[in-house]
Amino acid sequence: MRRKGWIGIALLALWAGCGFGPVWAGVPTEKVKETTDKIIAIVSDPALKDPAKEKERREQIRRSVDEMCDWQEMSRRSLGRYWAQRSEQEKKEFIQLFGQLLERTYIDKVEGYSGEKVIYTGERVDGDYAEVDVKIVTKKNTEIPVVYKLRSRDQQWWAYDMVIEGVSLVNNYRTQFSDIMAKSSFEGLMKKLREKSAE
Amino acid sequence: MKRTGLVFVIAIICIVSLEAESSGQSTATYAPEHGFSAQRVELASIQVASLKEASTEDEEAEPVESSGETVPDPLEPINRAFFEFNDKLYFLVLKPVATGYKTVVPEEVRVCIRNFFTNLAFPVRFANNLFQGKFFGAIEETCGFLVNSTVGLGGLADIATAVDIKRHDEDLGQTLAVYGAGPAFYINWPFFGPSTLRDTIGVAGDLFIDPLTYLGNYWYAPYSRGLNILNETSLRLGDYESLKKAALDPYVALRDAFYQNRLSKIKE
Repeated sequence: MRRKGWIGIALLALWAGCGFGPVWAGVPTEKVKETTDKIIAIVSDPALKDPAKEKERREQIRRSVDEMCDWQEMSRRSLGRYWAQRSEQEKKEFIQLFGQLLERTYIDKVEGYSGEKVIYTGERVDGDYAEVDVKIVTKKNTEIPVVYKLRSRDQQWWAYDMVIEGVSLVNNYRTQFSDIMAKSSFEGLMKKLREKSAE
Repeated sequence: MKRTGLVFVIAIICIVSLEAESSGQSTATYAPEHGFSAQRVELASIQVASLKEASTEDEEAEPVESSGETVPDPLEPINRAFFEFNDKLYFLVLKPVATGYKTVVPEEVRVCIRNFFTNLAFPVRFANNLFQGKFFGAIEETCGFLVNSTVGLGGLADIATAVDIKRHDEDLGQTLAVYGAGPAFYINWPFFGPSTLRDTIGVAGDLFIDPLTYLGNYWYAPYSRGLNILNETSLRLGDYESLKKAALDPYVALRDAFYQNRLSKIKE
């Protein structure tokens, strides 16, 4: 009898710890969660931990990231007002190079995964646009707030920006790109991108 | 007897502030701010508005420049020189020393040291919560400080976070911004790194409230700040490297990351 009481208290504490807010996950959150879970499964897979398997592991992560990220939209937003002035060919090449850089940056980040918890804390949907709030809790117990920005296209949600601790990836690149464009040219920017992806 | 009474009062204050927070959560789930409900509603509407703004700039041909706020940088040549200096300082001095420290001191101990310094800086956060009229923030900060200083063994263990007492990281730079002060311009200080004129004034002002300033003539006074910096660096090794690796222009990337992070803290 007494034991049951303790279980009840423990459950109550657990419930209180989970917060009182209504928990509801919508489609955008599901999209982010699906991709995140896939990537966590890949980086935690002991069969892929071997350094010799690095290429295969990165390739698998890449495929999962591709299912979520809208590289064209990221490129368009990062280039800002310079986007419209580019020819179709230039846009294509830019998306390819910049997409590679973003992908590599993302893969480098997730490869350092070491048991961090990912908590989904909120979601806002407004027509074709959505934001998904995520909290990454590290083993050192620091919390990193991340917001995924998504846009719906072809009945699917696609991420076009990631805001980590208030820093938007797209805005950060846009500031760099417009600085480079102001000081040199689109060709200069492409040259830097090529050098970066060759690193 | 008196002491028990005091503990009781503190406990009640803690419970009341937690209650206020959780009831707010159910009405506006996505407002990150802990404050009065009117403030929450206002924040919520700002967020909805920003989402809508994104949807109007929909068309392919339309330029996207909306949310991109940048900080003025009239001192860029000097700032860039100091950026290079700090870069060298990091790779040649700070990183090797922090790496050595990391191999000697286990991570658990380093997290405890971080917790200790964070707890010690409570007066700065408390005062600035008050300056900004964030009374719930000030109360919750006080609860966290009292819990960590006692149960958390003088701040070494962050019990407050574990029991969901939130930290309200306010500083004088943010307070000045709340009262309408702009950033003026970007400054990349040698040794100290990214800041703005406003935030530099803020840091200088916060030093008057910082307990570390009042350590006096004890032998460990000058070492305490050094330990804090070394310890923080050891816990963040690799962050700067990955920023550099992802950036086309690391100077601009760091400036923008600093400024965006600052803006988000001020908005909170």
